[in-house]
Amino acid sequence: MLIEIIDVIISGLLNGSVYALMAIGLALVYGVTKAFNFAYGSFYTMGGYFAWVVMVQMEIPGGYYTVFLTAIPFLFIVGFLLEKFLVAPLRKRDDWQMKAMMLTLGLALFLDIGYMAMFGPRLKSLPDIVEGTLELGPLVFMNQDLVIFVLSITGLLCFAWLLNNTRVGMAVQAVAQNPAGAQIVGIPKERVFAATFAISTIMVGIGGILLSQKNFVNPQASTGIMIKAWVITAFGGMGSIKGSLYAALIIGMLEAFVGYYLGMIHIDIAVLTLLLVTLAFRPQGLMGRE
Amino acid sequence: MNAKSMIKILAITYGLIGILPIFVSDSSIMMRILTMILIWSVVASCWDLIMGYAGIFSFGQVAFYVIGAYSSAILSVSLNVPPVFAVFAAGIITAIIGVLVGIPCLKLAGPYIALVTFAFQLALEPFLKGPMGKAIGSGGSRGIISVPPIEIFGISFSSSELVPFFYLALVMTLICSAVIVVILKSHWGTAFLALKDSEDFAASLGVSAFKYKLLVFGVTSFITGLFGALYVHYVGILSTRMLSMEVFTVLLIMIVVGGIGQYPGVVLGAVVTVTMNELLRPMGIYRLLIMGGLVVVIVLFLPDGVTGLIRKFSVFSKRKKKEDRPIKT
Repeated sequence: MLIEIIDVIISGLLNGSVYALMAIGLALVYGVTKAFNFAYGSFYTMGGYFAWVVMVQMEIPGGYYTVFLTAIPFLFIVGFLLEKFLVAPLRKRDDWQMKAMMLTLGLALFLDIGYMAMFGPRLKSLPDIVEGTLELGPLVFMNQDLVIFVLSITGLLCFAWLLNNTRVGMAVQAVAQNPAGAQIVGIPKERVFAATFAISTIMVGIGGILLSQKNFVNPQASTGIMIKAWVITAFGGMGSIKGSLYAALIIGMLEAFVGYYLGMIHIDIAVLTLLLVTLAFRPQGLMGRE
Repeated sequence: MNAKSMIKILAITYGLIGILPIFVSDSSIMMRILTMILIWSVVASCWDLIMGYAGIFSFGQVAFYVIGAYSSAILSVSLNVPPVFAVFAAGIITAIIGVLVGIPCLKLAGPYIALVTFAFQLALEPFLKGPMGKAIGSGGSRGIISVPPIEIFGISFSSSELVPFFYLALVMTLICSAVIVVILKSHWGTAFLALKDSEDFAASLGVSAFKYKLLVFGVTSFITGLFGALYVHYVGILSTRMLSMEVFTVLLIMIVVGGIGQYPGVVLGAVVTVTMNELLRPMGIYRLLIMGGLVVVIVLFLPDGVTGLIRKFSVFSKRKKKEDRPIKT
């Protein structure tokens, strides 16, 4: 009984940590650029396919080391160019938020169908990042889970370091607080927007590489991930990074417990109920500012 | 756009669509396309009304359409209600649900509304497929088969008689389009725009955000539910496949092509999109690829859609009247 509960908590923590990585990327991009990125989930799938192409299709040696070393620049460039050429031109208009929503929805469909056209509708499986299990008395951990957990926490710490200790991170924070003021003191606003978009693309793409080992690379997974990331950011407070972190862990736990005790089919309904109840009492989310 | 040119464009578009069956009534494919144009043009118009004019990022339009379809199908199959009444009952049920969805949305800011309404659509599928849906007669994942066609005075409007159903849909479309024009040009439409531009200022002038936002949720979901019901009695079968991203995106493309908040534009958008969707059908999976890419291209290069294009060229052909300019949003 106790072992079961610990198992469920661990799987909740594992999912929660990866969700945190993805949701914080979305919270960052919304907090800084105020653009809704509906194609966010498609970059998750992009990460998965990237790893599959590198390791399984092209059989480049080096396994996950090569994948991470190549995926980070690749995702950065994809995100940077997308913001530069697709989202930035919309900013001139007054109703650009709605236009950005529509554009990214179109982009999401384009990418998802594109994956299906390129790689076929079948699920792709990625090799495990490490094999074997770790036994601590009655508790059995899969090494893979531990590595995923450690990697996503590392990703979060890197992100925190980047945001608080580097010039880029400070520029991002300045633009988030006051875009006009940041521009006056000489921060290139457009480049910061593009950089944030690129960083968020990296975070969700890495999330895709980590979770696809367990859930397979699925061209239809994008919508679910996009909604999950949105729900977490909305639950935590749109644009609040700390809120997203707590929200991701809470939702990861909720999913694990509901999935274990009530069945997988109830997960979505439980998550949405939690979101609606929270928003009914706190319209700005857990830690969002009014 | 003033009321006169709005009515003119609508009259020309629907007039042309209304005449076409005389020439193509033998071709069942053409008749199907024309019927779908009518249905989707009204559903997309409702979306434009709530999103483009009232400024509410409601993404629940497809959900309301499906709710209308399911309520009418359940009423006529399980409870043996005559389809004519079931269609109107479905409209009322959808309106009630629309208002219920609207109430929590009143408190929320733009992006949250998009999320809640979109989440509502996503939650609808497990609900209809699951035990709760089966209890109210949704038929689970199999859906509902053999929904009876609408019958008025002994004439049956089913998918085997395409021409009568087309004219039934045309009549309904004209009535609903008239309702939308009246709403847009009455003080309701002005109130929507005022609330969209500055909610605080509008409220200080005595425009009740609560009343008008719930009204727009109620009206648009009523009309959408009505057309969802009309559709299900026409095709006769229903499943949760209607809730797929594909339907949602196709509806989105209509608004993008027509221009957001440029009312009759969305009708033209529906004509273009439905026709294109059918023409691209032989291309299989690449159809959606093209459609998705098209949204990106149109949003980037034609932000006001077809309406913007027409306005651009009319600068050279006609002298531009001041009141013809769109209200800047």
